[in-house]
Amino acid sequence: MNGRLEYALRRVLLTIPVLFATSIFVFLLIRLVPGDPVRTMLGIRATPDTIATVRSQLGLDHPLITQYWDWLRNALHGDLGQDFISHEKITSLLSVSMPITLELTILAMLLALVVGVPLGIIVAAKSGWTRRLSNGFVIGAISIPDFWLGIMLVLIFTGSLHLLPPTGWVAFTDNPAQNLRYMVLPVLTLATGQSAYILRTTRAAMLGTLSEPYIAFLRAKGLRQRSIVYLHALRNSSGPIVTVTGIQFGVLLGGAIVIENLFALPGVGRLIVTAISERNYVVVQGGVLVVACLFILVNLITDLVHGLLDPRVEEAVSR
Amino acid sequence: MTTIERASTARPQWRTRFGGREGLIGWTILAVLILIAILAPVLAPHSSEAIDSTRIFAKPDLSHPFGSDDLGRDVFSRVLYAYRASLSIAIGSVLLAMIVGVPIGVFAGYVGGWADLVLMRAVDLLLAFPALLLAISLIAILGPGNAVALLAIAIIYVPIIARVVRSSVLVVRGQPYVLGARTRGASHWAIVRGHVLPNSAGPVLVQASVLMAFAIVIEAALSFLGLGSQPPTPELGLMLAEGNNYLTTAPWVEIFPGLAIAVTVLAFNLIGDGLRRSFDPHGVTR
Repeated sequence: MNGRLEYALRRVLLTIPVLFATSIFVFLLIRLVPGDPVRTMLGIRATPDTIATVRSQLGLDHPLITQYWDWLRNALHGDLGQDFISHEKITSLLSVSMPITLELTILAMLLALVVGVPLGIIVAAKSGWTRRLSNGFVIGAISIPDFWLGIMLVLIFTGSLHLLPPTGWVAFTDNPAQNLRYMVLPVLTLATGQSAYILRTTRAAMLGTLSEPYIAFLRAKGLRQRSIVYLHALRNSSGPIVTVTGIQFGVLLGGAIVIENLFALPGVGRLIVTAISERNYVVVQGGVLVVACLFILVNLITDLVHGLLDPRVEEAVSR
Repeated sequence: MTTIERASTARPQWRTRFGGREGLIGWTILAVLILIAILAPVLAPHSSEAIDSTRIFAKPDLSHPFGSDDLGRDVFSRVLYAYRASLSIAIGSVLLAMIVGVPIGVFAGYVGGWADLVLMRAVDLLLAFPALLLAISLIAILGPGNAVALLAIAIIYVPIIARVVRSSVLVVRGQPYVLGARTRGASHWAIVRGHVLPNSAGPVLVQASVLMAFAIVIEAALSFLGLGSQPPTPELGLMLAEGNNYLTTAPWVEIFPGLAIAVTVLAFNLIGDGLRRSFDPHGVTR
């Protein structure tokens, strides 16, 4: 238990420098814009008055260190500034868009796991045409760009079959059924590629575990194949599956940026891209910060779960 | 006077091995696509930019196998031209990332100690950011365009390449032949060039081909979002974005550019799988 706690503590402490570096990068986002960021941001709206207001809002007249410190203190107090176009607080924009992105990515990941893990387990024990079929699915699903898959799904399900609404969004609290109907295609789009990665990882991990001597020993002891596969082999193969799920969640967050724009879902990804085209850097900054922090958090949880499932991880760290 | 040939442990078959049947298919597709990109002006039956008001959303026919788009431009010719941007950005970004990432990885892995610790922490920091988000942030700073997209993709790839190179250099560094070379009095530079680089090239080549596959998708995704190539450049992601509003009236405008991306990604993935089987049976890049 001691080693496990030490591993967890160490891993949590390691996130602090990462968060620190992320905050510096996100802070510099506006300051690195070539030329005068305020003028670029305001464009035709730039009058001496508005320039002065935005400049003082961003604290651009202070030294860089002071600016960073003020920005960080405000961010830690939940104040990420104000959108100078809609005059809304960035945090209130994010509190609307973040749940949508989370719903999309979590549902997609769950679907990918529900499909990928069982298929990977089944395929690991088979050879011949099942193996070839799964290889074909994996390389196909990985090669098809997700946003194009999304376009094709819209073409099939709304253009030809008229089964689902095309693009748009309704809040879950307003109409749960309609919300989920709008989510079907985006989730399916994101989950297809992910399920292929998870299938491949599960298959490889299971193949490795099933060839270990202790599995042969369990077989010799007369255990049923089912309990060998699901009780013993799966538990010992779970490390790589958890790790890949964590890594792929980051890929999903990136993919969600594109998919939200394709399906007009008002999530963080759409918020960021719209803000970039409007040169609305304060919004870009807030969106990037939140998504990056979420990714760091997911990585942390992944490593902690991996440590819990596989005692060899903490041994490797404490050695 | 006798000359002693410099000992090298580079395995000679790595040049001849394309990675089995799968790999060979991948290389063939890629070679054809590169030829298409180079010969686009010769191969394209029509201009990629000529607007034809009589052919707006015209269906595919023999002289226009992929149909026409919202401005009556020939989709087939545009796809052929679009391979230029896609392939040069995908290959260019990975090469750029290798020019920066390979020396970092070799240095960290071969020298070890503090250099390794500092470089790898920096690499970890970059990897702690979702790749596409990092690319988009860089484009937010520098503004959209092809060159920026290439640079952004290269930057997100540097840490990945450096990591793979470092882990294979770590393995090679401990091999007896490296120790042997050192006892023989070979300089570090000679060891790196003669033993470390050739023997750790496999995994990074596998990784490079996989990264090129992703680069094709990232580049198309960026253009799709309006953050990469700008109109009227023929570019696959941009074509998908332009045609998306007319999906049900003219699906061919969406189907063919997407297939063109998928074929390219497939080629790189097949090459990667083939190379992996030849170079990296133990799965450093997995």
